[in-house]
Amino acid sequence: MFHTCDRCESPATFHLTEIKGGTKTERHLCEDCAKVLQVPQANKELQTLLKSFDPSQVGRQKGGKSVKACPDCGMTYAEFRQNGRFGCPKDYEVFEKEVVALLERIHNGVSRYSGKTPEGGQVEDGELVDETSEVRARLAQAVASEDYEEAARLRDEIRRMTAARSAPPAGEAEAE
Amino acid sequence: MARPDDQAPLFPGDGDAAGGTLRLPDLFMLRTGPESDVVVSSRMRLARNLDGFHFKPRFMEGECERLEVHLREVLRESEPSNRYHGLHDLSATERKVLFERHLVSREHAADEHPRGVSFSADGTSSIMVNEEDHLRLQVFAPGLDLEHLDRAVNGIDDRIAGRVTYSFDPRFGYRTACPTNTGTGLRVSVMLHLPALSGRLEGRPRGAEQDVVRLQNAAQQLGQTIRGLYGESSRADGDFYQISNQVTLGRRPEQTLEDVGKLVRMTLDWERRNRDAHLERNRTRIEDHVWRAWAVLTHARRMTSTEALTLLSALRLGVCLGIVDAVDVPTLQGLMVDMRPGHLQYQAEAELTAERRDEVRADLIRGKLLAT
Repeated sequence: MFHTCDRCESPATFHLTEIKGGTKTERHLCEDCAKVLQVPQANKELQTLLKSFDPSQVGRQKGGKSVKACPDCGMTYAEFRQNGRFGCPKDYEVFEKEVVALLERIHNGVSRYSGKTPEGGQVEDGELVDETSEVRARLAQAVASEDYEEAARLRDEIRRMTAARSAPPAGEAEAE
Repeated sequence: MARPDDQAPLFPGDGDAAGGTLRLPDLFMLRTGPESDVVVSSRMRLARNLDGFHFKPRFMEGECERLEVHLREVLRESEPSNRYHGLHDLSATERKVLFERHLVSREHAADEHPRGVSFSADGTSSIMVNEEDHLRLQVFAPGLDLEHLDRAVNGIDDRIAGRVTYSFDPRFGYRTACPTNTGTGLRVSVMLHLPALSGRLEGRPRGAEQDVVRLQNAAQQLGQTIRGLYGESSRADGDFYQISNQVTLGRRPEQTLEDVGKLVRMTLDWERRNRDAHLERNRTRIEDHVWRAWAVLTHARRMTSTEALTLLSALRLGVCLGIVDAVDVPTLQGLMVDMRPGHLQYQAEAELTAERRDEVRADLIRGKLLAT
């Protein structure tokens, strides 16, 4: 709805609702009259709010008291909790302690990964698994029982596994 | 709550894009898979992000566009036979059609930032670019077919991994924008048709679905969840429910597949036993339920999507129990997609009012069922 200023008939840009003793009064003022009447500047409050989202300003909130923020994306933990989404992958390290506790709450008490790596390796409980360890054990057994044919085959298998793991990803893709 | 509701508004920008550029993939639901008397479809999704880029809430100026251009090129190389569409190039109706086929999420269709989707011509895989995560890889199959999906989605994942650097570390696994996906980034979902377990066949009122509640409790103990297809917590429209995993850390993907597979098998055995028990106890009651649905579907002149879904669900049960043989399951599954608001408007090449959609829907269903 369009309103004109209560004092001067210019278009009103400030709209105030005051509730005193159960009665509601509405006032509409133009920018100049609002300045004259020393109405709190809504714009200023908005600017402060926006500044809190500016990475360069984060860390200076709360009257100079430092709030931890991600140096990469500027996200604070409070902001993350508000919308439930991280700002960048680095947040996992910046807020590690809080993130670990949160992940454990979400994932039945576990915060360590098990599964594959992008390079085709394996991770168990947050640690890289050396896939060759099992084959190495079989190799030692073969040598002990003097089965040199089997030992040679296992040695080649370990070489192949190690080569596949250290090959650049692009090369692997071409080999498909 | 999201529902296949005719009153649901179309996405922003409705009608402002000329569209006409979309080439739709085949509908994979026109085939049936294993256990299709109870299991409608299976889906697997992997969430992936690239190192060196922020997540969506913190994109810097121009970063989102750069990422979309980069990933479009990566996908052109890794999935050369896929089609790629920037969502901003599509009309609101076209985006709605992609959503109704599960190729993009509701949010992805409605958003406004630079984003895209790449999908296979057979409609069994789609990759969303710049959704909540930089990449969301999805694969679908009719019926219960998790082993096949596992191979398919990991194939796509490995081909992309050879061309980009994923944000990954052994401690947390794949880092995602939302901590509920951290780790494997894997969501396995199986859509089931449970008209016996939902209590509908006994005429139980809404809110008295004891069997579904029991299932929900069991699922929770196993780090899984069962919900209505559109997010309903108890009686779902059309009795379509989905079981999916919630835990993505500490369980290997193959264990998660096994966990979900076990709960699905338990559920489908229970549903089948209940269906048989109903037939034995009161065959006429079930036949009446099914034939009434047939009567309305083949004669009505106006029908909302919720009513159509409920009646097609009853007919699906009738076909699976051998009560009706005038139509098959794939035809019914095709209708359940084709009768949705976006599809009706896409077919008509025009915007239709909700009332007009109800008429067109009734015509479509009648025509299809009486032609078979």
